[in-house]
Amino acid sequence: MKTTGWNLKRNVTFQLFVLPALIGYLIFYIYPLVQTFIYSFTNYSLYHLDMEWIGIDNYTRLFKDDSVIIGIKNTVIYALLITLLQNGLAIPLAIALNRPLKSRNGLRLVFFAPAVLSPLVVGFLWSYLMSSTDYGLINQALRAIGLNDVNWLGNPKLALYSILLTQVWQWTGYAMVIYLANLQGISKDYYEAASIDGAKAWTVFRQITLPLLLPSISFNTVMGMIGGLKVFDVIFAMTGGGPGHSTETIVMTLINKGITESQFGYGSSFAVVFSLLIMIVAFIQLKVLKKWEERLF
Amino acid sequence: MKKALRVVASLLLCSAILSACGGNGNNTGSESPAPTNNSASNNTEEATVKIIGFNKEETRKSYLELLRQQFPNYDIQFQFVDNKQFKNVVTTYLASGEGPDIIEGTESSWIAAGYLEDLTNQPFVSRYYDTGIKGFTQNGKVYAIPLQSWFEGIWYNKEIFAQNNLTPPKSFDEWMELHDTLRNAGVKPQAMGAKSWESMMKQSIGVALNDFYSKPEGKDFDGKFGTGEATLSEAWLSAFKKWDETIAKKNLTPDMLGVEYDQALDEFATGKAAMWESGPWAYETLLQKNPNLKLGMFPIPGSAEGSGWLVGGPGSSWSVNKNAKNKDAALKVLDFTSTPEAQAALIKDNFGTSFLEGVDNSGIPEQYADSKAAFDEGHVYVPWGNWGTLAGNDIIMELGKQLQDHLAGVKSIEEVLKNTDKKAEEIRNSMK
Repeated sequence: MKTTGWNLKRNVTFQLFVLPALIGYLIFYIYPLVQTFIYSFTNYSLYHLDMEWIGIDNYTRLFKDDSVIIGIKNTVIYALLITLLQNGLAIPLAIALNRPLKSRNGLRLVFFAPAVLSPLVVGFLWSYLMSSTDYGLINQALRAIGLNDVNWLGNPKLALYSILLTQVWQWTGYAMVIYLANLQGISKDYYEAASIDGAKAWTVFRQITLPLLLPSISFNTVMGMIGGLKVFDVIFAMTGGGPGHSTETIVMTLINKGITESQFGYGSSFAVVFSLLIMIVAFIQLKVLKKWEERLF
Repeated sequence: MKKALRVVASLLLCSAILSACGGNGNNTGSESPAPTNNSASNNTEEATVKIIGFNKEETRKSYLELLRQQFPNYDIQFQFVDNKQFKNVVTTYLASGEGPDIIEGTESSWIAAGYLEDLTNQPFVSRYYDTGIKGFTQNGKVYAIPLQSWFEGIWYNKEIFAQNNLTPPKSFDEWMELHDTLRNAGVKPQAMGAKSWESMMKQSIGVALNDFYSKPEGKDFDGKFGTGEATLSEAWLSAFKKWDETIAKKNLTPDMLGVEYDQALDEFATGKAAMWESGPWAYETLLQKNPNLKLGMFPIPGSAEGSGWLVGGPGSSWSVNKNAKNKDAALKVLDFTSTPEAQAALIKDNFGTSFLEGVDNSGIPEQYADSKAAFDEGHVYVPWGNWGTLAGNDIIMELGKQLQDHLAGVKSIEEVLKNTDKKAEEIRNSMK
């Protein structure tokens, strides 16, 4: 295409507008990314400020480290469950609140409101609600109906799921809003046609609503997985990774090794492996969802 | 023109990548200024002095007020960071070449990295007893001055004890019986914020101080542990098995793993529990929550009858950031801190004994009267400050977390010590 003088001037202007963001991206993303990758092959720490190249030693050590195995296990369990639960609850919630209810605006607000709170605040709040002391409101409620206290955050087998519960509470409303927006974009003609054909509710949901919700399902599940894999703040607030190491995640382990113990090179190898893990998970998810989309249409 | 812009963008990308490959400059701080001899009262320059600490500001209130009176030209700023994240926050500051001027505490990693100012030749250092300076000396160089000693024992509710005809125990077995008596009377014997890694760690070490460190075999242990010649699994096992009786007898229970330090404080302050392990820093908060609370502190008892031991030592300290923006002012603050007046102000809000020569430490507040015998016999110690290059929080944090697993029933006491030894080995290896 022949570039006219006016087109050229516009292109240069657009690219100049992009330049500050590009510079920021290079300084705050690309530069640290490359530097981290390089550090991961060194023994860089507060004891070795003049770092030396050690090849893949950090990586081989990482996969033999018990705390890493625990961190990966906890992170994968957490990320899978939060994605499933959050979206499994958000879809029916969105469908219900898409109906012409009188109170729907109020209900939408109620379900969305927790999402505007800081995860740290939510964590501290719930850690008091779930406290094992007499002040713990949840156990007080359980006692009032004749049930025994539950050691929500002190039982190593239960603590991670207790934290998961609070996050489902906090973020289901957020996913619901995305689904609502998608639902409102679905043409009513489909439902009218289904109604004429005598289709039952479940058939309508399976054949019409669910396929047309795929764009938001893709978005919410990918974002849910990424958010779940990166979780740190709420766990820090509620259990600090305890009891013991039972709720430590990859990010917590990375911070413990890389910052608390000042093993910067070793911590960098964590960051590299973790980034690759997220990229692989996101890639697989998108591929699977795309295939599903193609099959349905 | 388009091609030129593409080239510019590509060059920017390449330079970002190549600059990330560049070497890391050595951390060279400014040269240490000459030791200060000037009286603080002659000081007229203006400066901002930033202090960062893991003890809350209210425990430094009188001292900070005194500093501001003494240095009217200085803007003294105090930042509290919870001990859980203190090392992370300060390490990040120091690694970036920034950070506060005065830091509470020292870490061997900060010293190794050259982040802390060498105070050896400062005139105020010689005003302290060697016992106070020793813990902040590495390779013959002094990196901090001690603040008041800290200690931790068992706070007890005097009224509950009196109602049940109880007195502070002289032995561990007596302490266990005391728990039974209280439980049978319908009183929760002990509050414990086991969500924090510190409480059980200190209590178990308290028994080790009685049963191991007071014996000849305990005298040289810490230096050997620091170098890897000795292990906790061998040295501490007997004492830790003794302490473990408190878990077997359900004085400490798994539900305490869901209790925060502050929640345990509330339980004790409001009379819901008869005992709680903590230190002088909690005294004012306890009385604020319950002004009618009558409390005392007794040391952690051991297997044999005796005065018991308090977990504690040469407290926290003030060190100086080598890259401090106002190093001269920071050193003047340390100089003034090394006076009886400043030491008295420190002790006023957070009782401890001073390591400054000539300070009268004979007055012990009434609430610590039950610990007087332990003070008189010098039964105040903390091992981890004397582990050489292993000194710091990393190992005791791991010990605390392993004890949480033990309380939850996941690990045996043998595994707790073995895993802590493993952590020590990992840290030693990372230094090689």
